[in-house]
Amino acid sequence: MVTFLHAAMMMTTPILLAAIGGLVNRIGGLVNLGLEAMMLAGALVAVIVSAKSGSAAIATFAALAIGAAIGLAMSLVVTRLSANEIIVGLGFSVATAGLVRFILKSAYGASGTYNPPGVMMLPRIVVPGLDQVPVLGAIVSGLDPLTWLAWALVPVSAFVLRQTRWGLRLRATGAAEATVRSVGLSPFSIRDASTVFAGGLAGLAGAYLSIGVVGLFNEGITGGRGFIALAAFYFGRASPFRTALGALLFGAFDAAQIRLQGRGVPAELVQTLPYVIVIVVLTGLGLAERRAERQGMVR
Amino acid sequence: MTRALGSRIAHTLGVAAPFAFALAIGAAILLAAGFDPLGVYKLMVQEAFGGDRRIAATLTAATPLLLTGLAAAIAFRAGIFNVGAEGCFYLGGLVAAVVGAAVPAWSSAPAILVALGAAVLAGGLWLLGPGVLRASLGVDEVVTTLMLNFIAIGLTGWLVNGPLLARGSANSATPLIAANAELPRLMPPTTLNLGFVISLALVIAYGACSRFAVSGFRSKLVGMNPRFSRAVGIEPGRIFLAMMIVSGAIGGLAGGIHALGLVHRFVGGFSPGYGFTGIAIALLARNTALGLIVASILFGALSSAGANIQLFSDVPIEIVEILQGAVMIFAVANLGVFWKRRRGAA
Repeated sequence: MVTFLHAAMMMTTPILLAAIGGLVNRIGGLVNLGLEAMMLAGALVAVIVSAKSGSAAIATFAALAIGAAIGLAMSLVVTRLSANEIIVGLGFSVATAGLVRFILKSAYGASGTYNPPGVMMLPRIVVPGLDQVPVLGAIVSGLDPLTWLAWALVPVSAFVLRQTRWGLRLRATGAAEATVRSVGLSPFSIRDASTVFAGGLAGLAGAYLSIGVVGLFNEGITGGRGFIALAAFYFGRASPFRTALGALLFGAFDAAQIRLQGRGVPAELVQTLPYVIVIVVLTGLGLAERRAERQGMVR
Repeated sequence: MTRALGSRIAHTLGVAAPFAFALAIGAAILLAAGFDPLGVYKLMVQEAFGGDRRIAATLTAATPLLLTGLAAAIAFRAGIFNVGAEGCFYLGGLVAAVVGAAVPAWSSAPAILVALGAAVLAGGLWLLGPGVLRASLGVDEVVTTLMLNFIAIGLTGWLVNGPLLARGSANSATPLIAANAELPRLMPPTTLNLGFVISLALVIAYGACSRFAVSGFRSKLVGMNPRFSRAVGIEPGRIFLAMMIVSGAIGGLAGGIHALGLVHRFVGGFSPGYGFTGIAIALLARNTALGLIVASILFGALSSAGANIQLFSDVPIEIVEILQGAVMIFAVANLGVFWKRRRGAA
């Protein structure tokens, strides 16, 4: 059970990182379907840079940068060329997946998997004292810095969104663009910043998968986690805490599906659970909203 | 008169511009990787259109795209953002393959009709849920249809690996369909089959319907202005639901035709994203029938040429995916911004 919870924590990290980014992005008014692409690019860049530089820190930073760069490109197309974010997100997913495999083949002669020598993995943090605590110690001991970062971001983003000027500006950009413009701020720039933030976190999620878990790059390494992150922030609506709960739930499914393989539980069906849950949640929200409307207390 | 001509030219440019931008980006990537972009593109045109057999291969590749493009266009036109054709394609393919394998004693026409009918039904029913949710509760159909894609892929993946796995087959594949359930080939030995004609006919019927039929006008009206439609007595919710189901049914049919016409069974990874490419096609075509045909053939050419250029040159086939994704992005981008700025600067 304890090892399962530890595994669940590990599988939660990439989903949580991308989901917090996607949540912030959505609050800023852009539904990001490109998270999967940014994650994939981050995973590849992390492996390449880690093997070249021998430093996991530099590799992590490079993954952050590539994710942020793709986020910026995507956001500029959406905000400055007034393109539909859903289509642009899907387009970036298709093009980036192609580009990643193109680079693998043409630059490294590898198809599908790239496993260079000398990849430095993310360090594991053992907190003195904490690892002595029963159960909890076994769950959280030996986790890597990105996992700690992901969980730290939950209260931090909640605080920033609720209590700070930047949070207010971001929420206003998503909810009332004209108001933001009328006070002399650029809603487009604020939205772009939120997409860059989401891209950076998705890049980190990719780095986590490649140099945090397996130590190599595979073209299927993200396995739809960018879209599960989308499911998590839809599950969480506007709240980082609820989003984290969703990410933890879906991370646990992911860990369970790996453990249940070969025991007669179909992995394919377990993998669809996050998506089923999101539809159920959206239906429930729709029903609740209609009930509220019927009772004449709209919002 | 000249004004009408001008707008028609502008419209044509509007369709061509995303392709031109995508080709430019593709060229930059090819150049960076040390290939000669012009040579590669020339080879691609040759491989896609040089000779009867290659044209047949291109049209075969265009067949599923005609219908996934149509599925998207029907929905978009009515103001529904349905991105669920991919899932319908998987389900329709699986259902048609299973029915097609189960009807050995029948003659060809009823076998095909029943198998394709089942695919249509599967696709339509699959999007009933999002349709009802949108029409009655206002639940965002983008999210529900997107999620349903992943559910359909997981569901069919499970079925084809377990309960429906062909006996003696290690890979995820259903048994081959009966010979009489196969769609007849039009130009043996090429794989071009009756499915292309069916798809083309449906797109043309859509074009006629959207222009001349009352139902076509209604759905366009709802897509343009749901509040006005309600004011003149057309219930938008009902149209949303109907068009969502029709769109899903066409997506299912696309999968069914792909199974009966080309693959002759259902396999894991049945679609390389036909449903998503269909979205790009509908956008490029601006939901017109002629545009759907042209764009489907262009995308078909990309994928049929891509398979060959990897054989005859070192260019990785993924250049096709990059181009497809780039077309998708530029299809919705307002490229006019560049023109206006330049004119303003001059």
